[in-house]
Amino acid sequence: MNGIHDMGGMHGLGPIEREENEPVFHHAWERRAFALNMAAGFLGEWNIDMSRYAREQMPAAEYLATSYYEHWLWSLERLLVDKGLLTQAEIDARLAELRKRAVK
Amino acid sequence: MRRALRAADVGTVLLKGGPARLPDDVPPRFKPGDLVVARNINPTGHTRLPRYARGRRGVVDRDHGVFVFADASAMGRGKKPQHLYSVRFGARELWGPQAAARDVVYIDLWDDHLDPG
Amino acid sequence: MSDEHDHAEEGSPLTETELRVRALESLLVEKGLVDPAALDALIDTYETKVGPRNGAHVVARAWVDPAYRARLLEDGSKAIAELGYMGRQGEDMMVLENTPKVHNMVVCTLCSCYPWPVLGLPPVWYKSAPYRSRAVLDPRGVLRELGVEVPEDVEVRVWDSTSEVRYLVLPERPAGTEGWSEAELVGIVTRDSMIGVAKVQAPARGGRR
Repeated sequence: MNGIHDMGGMHGLGPIEREENEPVFHHAWERRAFALNMAAGFLGEWNIDMSRYAREQMPAAEYLATSYYEHWLWSLERLLVDKGLLTQAEIDARLAELRKRAVK
Repeated sequence: MRRALRAADVGTVLLKGGPARLPDDVPPRFKPGDLVVARNINPTGHTRLPRYARGRRGVVDRDHGVFVFADASAMGRGKKPQHLYSVRFGARELWGPQAAARDVVYIDLWDDHLDPG
Repeated sequence: MSDEHDHAEEGSPLTETELRVRALESLLVEKGLVDPAALDALIDTYETKVGPRNGAHVVARAWVDPAYRARLLEDGSKAIAELGYMGRQGEDMMVLENTPKVHNMVVCTLCSCYPWPVLGLPPVWYKSAPYRSRAVLDPRGVLRELGVEVPEDVEVRVWDSTSEVRYLVLPERPAGTEGWSEAELVGIVTRDSMIGVAKVQAPARGGRR
């Protein structure tokens, strides 16, 4: 698809920002998002090309404003629901439950 | 569905990987040295042919062999085994006369992405 | 870069992102689809075990052993596997030789494809819009910004990783490292030099380890 992800040649996306000695993961949740994607993918309900396509479908403005692992999280949820491993209802219910109890 | 990945299997699974190369005996449409043009396709589905290369002329540098065709695989249309090539495009062909004369971009493209140039 | 969206300070409510990760993980674990110990093993692998040191080993070996170098350029996957590096996101490897006349640089404009077995997981800048958009369009400008000046008579080759073939740059061996052991050479090969956005520097006199 002619999505925002197809960025080769675009202007205006900013300077290259580098962090010296950056860690592999910047937050605990990134570790989990990474591992969940891998482990869920291993179930064989989708292939790597399907997972890339799922990421490409993130709305363009959101794609540009969010981080890499936020893209992975977004697409993982979409794949899990599309392939019937989870339902949106149960995800939303679990989220509501966790929000109520959410204090670190 | 496969059963859940177990910790003890993680090492083996990662080392095995998920090769996209296929043993299928499919004839190539192109060979190294051939002039090609990237097709001007604009699917709403998945494609690995970037917009900046569509309609551009290049030269086949290498035949990587037969691979799963990502564009089809992503859409549940099967593996569609076909040859994958490394295609060399001049920077000026892609970006115009302001680009460096000497520079090139190599893009991996499949048979279904290319026409004879 | 703002990180207000994605993590919270100690004692404050979890962010939406953290909640969502927990929601998905808890559901998948409860349904027996995902094993938490496997998650930990995956994280541990890429946080501590697989990284650019693997690629540095490949490069250093190629620098000291001309026969290995030839095999590496002939069949990257096979030669890299000789050193035990293989598997996910590195099943099909091509090694690109930098010379005084050719400078290679690797990008994935469409997403973040990167040779995990030899370099580990990619850094944020490699996966981000600025590099992905500009590497194919203005590689010399990108290289200059990153501290590499490429003379006009050198050909810059940018490789856009659009398939499952993964690319590793074999950087030039710097002057001043004559007679160094393979182990000493491993210490100076940087990740960025194997992506093609840096050259390997021999440290100043006294820096040899």
